[in-house]
Amino acid sequence: MPGSDISIFELFGILKKGYERDIMEEFRPNPNELLSQIKEKEEEKKRKRGMLKIFFGYSAGVGKTYDMLKSAHEIKDEGKDVVCGYIEPHTRPATMELVNGLEMIPVKEKEYHGITLKEMDLDAVLKRKPQLVLVDEYAHTNLEGSRHQKRYQDVEEILNAGIDVYTTVNVQHLESLCDIVASITGIVVKERIPDSSFDHADEVKLVDIEPKELLQRLKDGKVYRKLQVKKALDNFFTEEKLTALREIALRRTADRVNITSEKAKRRNKSEYFTEEKILIGLSSSPSNPKIIRAGARMAMAFEGEFIALFVETSSYDNINEKDKKRLKDNMRLAEKLGAKIETVKGDDIAFVIAEYAKISGISKIVVGRSNTRRGFFSKASFTERLIVIAPNLEIYVIPDSNLEKINQKVWNDKHQMKDKIWVTWKDLIFIAILLAVSTIISFLFYDMKFSEVNIITTYILFVMISGILTEGILSSLILAVLSVACFNYFFTAPRFSFLTYNTGYPVTFVITFFAAFFSSSLAQKLKKQSKEIAKVAYRSKVMFDTNQLLQAEKDIDRIGQIVAKQFVKILNRDIIFYGAKDGKLKEPDISFYGSDEKKSVYEKESEKAVANWVFLNNNRAGATTDTLGSAACYYLAIRSLEEVYGVIGIGIDAQEGLEAYENNLIFAVLTETAAYMEKETFRMREQKTAEQVNSEKLRANLLRSISHDLRTPLTSICGNADMMLQTQLDEETKKKICGEIYDDGMWLINLVENLLSVTRIEDKTMNIRLQIELLEDIITEAMSHISRRRENYHIVIEMEDEMQMVLCDSRLIIQVFINLIENALKYTPPGTDIKIKTKKQKEWVVVEVSDNGVGISDESKPYIFDMFYTANEKIVDSKRSLGMGLALCKSIIHAHGGKIRVKDNMPKGAVFEFTLQSQEVKIRET
Amino acid sequence: MKHDFILIVEDDTAIRNLICMALEIEKYEYHAAYNGSQALIEATSQNPDIILLDLGLPDIDGIEIIKKVRGWSKVPIIVISARSEDKDKIDALDAGADDYITKPFSTTELLARIRSTYRRIKYLKSTLQQEVSEFTNGKLKIDYLLQTAFVENQCIHLTPIEYKILCLLAQNIGRVLTHAYMTKEIWGSALESDVASLRVHVATLRKKIDAENRSNPYITTHVGIGYCMQKLDE
Repeated sequence: MPGSDISIFELFGILKKGYERDIMEEFRPNPNELLSQIKEKEEEKKRKRGMLKIFFGYSAGVGKTYDMLKSAHEIKDEGKDVVCGYIEPHTRPATMELVNGLEMIPVKEKEYHGITLKEMDLDAVLKRKPQLVLVDEYAHTNLEGSRHQKRYQDVEEILNAGIDVYTTVNVQHLESLCDIVASITGIVVKERIPDSSFDHADEVKLVDIEPKELLQRLKDGKVYRKLQVKKALDNFFTEEKLTALREIALRRTADRVNITSEKAKRRNKSEYFTEEKILIGLSSSPSNPKIIRAGARMAMAFEGEFIALFVETSSYDNINEKDKKRLKDNMRLAEKLGAKIETVKGDDIAFVIAEYAKISGISKIVVGRSNTRRGFFSKASFTERLIVIAPNLEIYVIPDSNLEKINQKVWNDKHQMKDKIWVTWKDLIFIAILLAVSTIISFLFYDMKFSEVNIITTYILFVMISGILTEGILSSLILAVLSVACFNYFFTAPRFSFLTYNTGYPVTFVITFFAAFFSSSLAQKLKKQSKEIAKVAYRSKVMFDTNQLLQAEKDIDRIGQIVAKQFVKILNRDIIFYGAKDGKLKEPDISFYGSDEKKSVYEKESEKAVANWVFLNNNRAGATTDTLGSAACYYLAIRSLEEVYGVIGIGIDAQEGLEAYENNLIFAVLTETAAYMEKETFRMREQKTAEQVNSEKLRANLLRSISHDLRTPLTSICGNADMMLQTQLDEETKKKICGEIYDDGMWLINLVENLLSVTRIEDKTMNIRLQIELLEDIITEAMSHISRRRENYHIVIEMEDEMQMVLCDSRLIIQVFINLIENALKYTPPGTDIKIKTKKQKEWVVVEVSDNGVGISDESKPYIFDMFYTANEKIVDSKRSLGMGLALCKSIIHAHGGKIRVKDNMPKGAVFEFTLQSQEVKIRET
Repeated sequence: MKHDFILIVEDDTAIRNLICMALEIEKYEYHAAYNGSQALIEATSQNPDIILLDLGLPDIDGIEIIKKVRGWSKVPIIVISARSEDKDKIDALDAGADDYITKPFSTTELLARIRSTYRRIKYLKSTLQQEVSEFTNGKLKIDYLLQTAFVENQCIHLTPIEYKILCLLAQNIGRVLTHAYMTKEIWGSALESDVASLRVHVATLRKKIDAENRSNPYITTHVGIGYCMQKLDE
């Protein structure tokens, strides 16, 4: 294989490894096999997730916990490892009896306002790692300071660790049913779980009893203690209410089966949803959640896509903190219920929504009843306008809840005034100046005897200027009033008084006022819009730049750093990037926006722990989330499918939260980043695989060559010996045959020596031991190993300095000499002169092994130091050679830091020249 | 018991047979041992002239055997080693072995070694009776009283170090001395720089002594191991 690029080290390393591998009978990398391995691993991961079984009931007291404990005992009797993670201390004696006999994981006790409260110890459960753990009250809210806000998130983590979970939940805890249940029972339940947590459970067992029976149980004191019974009966436990709840529970259980099977079907077919697309509008209104939930239910019922649209008006920046928070909560709720959040900018909400609906092919839109009221200035209500603009849209009007009606009214009225009205000192000074200037100019005009029209138009002009240049309408309105007053005072008859004779002036006054108002608000709008456009343009540019930068990068860490820096630009916050290596997070790399005052905060162990949690659990955590919400940053995983490549932390206040567009942006960028990282990872894996495949090939080739070159001399030896045994030969022939056997033996010894020299290689570096040696000794030693052939040649040694010392590994350099001299003997006819010359050149010793034989052709010269190259292309028996000799010489000399090359000898022949490090020795005389 | 025999310690049958045959041809008497424990028994009970010891024995480490034997006897030990690493040879020599031969070896080489060892034994025996005031080896003569060396009765100018080296080699005639050993003997330490100096000194020494007889020198170089002074035939 001429011209092979692999060095001899790698080759032998491959051979060695391959030999070991063959012994262990491992597989050879095959792309299909690798792929199926990866797939298997993925499925294993999914399988490794624990199974969740929910014991579902329509009310307290139906026997969920009892049933759960009974099942647990059965499982335990089968021999599985079952523990209780948390069982609500029921005062129901029958239930508590069942707890005996099961191992309890001690609960965490927390002090809360003087009371000791008990919480499930999540870490203890994870450490204990049972096969099954019982966790009561799926919808429970954890105490402050717990890792997750809600118990269902704790359960999620337990499931991810591969532990099965049994849990209990009531129908009123489901998010989507909250309103319906509230309408039946009159109670709005605060502890809710997202429907997905319910639907994605592996098993849901409906624990059902007749309401009559439940009431009986209650009366008998089997549910609550006698004292509480009457109260419960009156408020909650009436037969009709219970029946209604039971029906909802039954239906929901049935729906669940439907939903999951349908989703599974669809996923397999890779079709997405059917034609239905349900849209709801997000707002900061307190009644918005009701609409969101209604939309979610509708989407489920129609099996359609659920979209929540938020229209960002120009007044968005001005809304107060409370409203902003409510908006964010509503957004999160929508997300939890499975909505896709979209943000659109615009001022005319109805118009924007209608347009969006038209473009996106929305089929149904859900609005609240309050939207049907007419606003202060608008002629038609929101709903009516929608109908007009998008006539094909189906509009569902949901009644707002009674309790929140009052709040709603207040809220609506407040929000009629879209723009916040405010004045700054700067504006006041400004309009004062403008007023002065306009008055002066007017005086000029008056002196120049221009008509009043010019004067009033001057004032109007200045009012309009103020409208454009000031912030807030109020200042220009003030200016308008003052201008008219000035005009009246200075320029209308009677002058210098506020009276007017001309009845037309009030009209002028009004017109001026309106001019001010309109120009100002228009200018305001324009200003805001241009600001927004600038912002958007900036963001787009940054996105584009990010894209460009990422494309060019190959290194995963660099990708992370670039993304972090871009985020700083986009979000104007501190960004922390954690790269990952070998399944663990590396040290954080912090990019600051502004000052680095928070550096010590970000580097705290607790922060790193949060980042680590995100990395391991592939889930968001930190500030503004429900998990570990007290952290200083909001941490997100950079992930592609199931693989996490790193963690990004965004420095943010828990109270602040991120804007909708920021969230979208982050998501988009991170997805792309992950894609790039994934690409890189795969590329490297591919490279490794390619290398492996390559080595396999070379190994096969090497083995083939070697076995050929070993077989030939062995054939000769055995053949000759055999002949000597069988036939009677004369002394002459016997001597000749023995000579040949000897020669073959010597040749094999040299081959073995060469191969053994190659074994002094580990991982591409040669294991050479440099020592100071006398060059003459080395040459003499080498000569003693040259084959008998030398007798037919003239070999001459010419050393410029016989005391020349060199720094080298004697064994290896001896091998170099042997190889070069043997080569000369092999490729030149007998009688050729072979000369070994040494001379010193600066700090190197140049050694020349030359012959005056046929020489080496120019075509061969570039290849002769390559592996397996022989002068003949084929592996010819007579020219016995592995082609390794010169390649080995090259490797050895290079490992010594020297150079080796071949050149023509004059008048004919070849010269092999190599360099060794010369060594000066400080001779110790005493 | 004075037996003129050689103890062969070699576990590989083929090689053992080869050696035995070679010795037989030269009319040497020999005993063979197959492993270390057998070798020790033979060595203690039979008292051989020379021990040919293979380093790769199955039961006891060759170095161990050398150390044990050296505990009571100065019998010449020639170790047989595989060719690749120098380290085992150096260890063997430092443990007390005298010479080594590498596999694969030719019988000629082996017999030459044995002959040379016998010469040494004879020499040592003869000089035991005399006062050691001078040393003779072929045409080389060292006068310890005058502290001078002569080759063919010609006085050789040697530096003090060269003289020391020569004497050291002479006193250990026939034994291969490692670089480390020689450096320690002469300078008291075995620094890297001293080892380098040693080579230079030996090289100059050889130029002075072995100038004429390159093919049959007094001082032989064992690359990577050390040096040895051969006892030449009279």
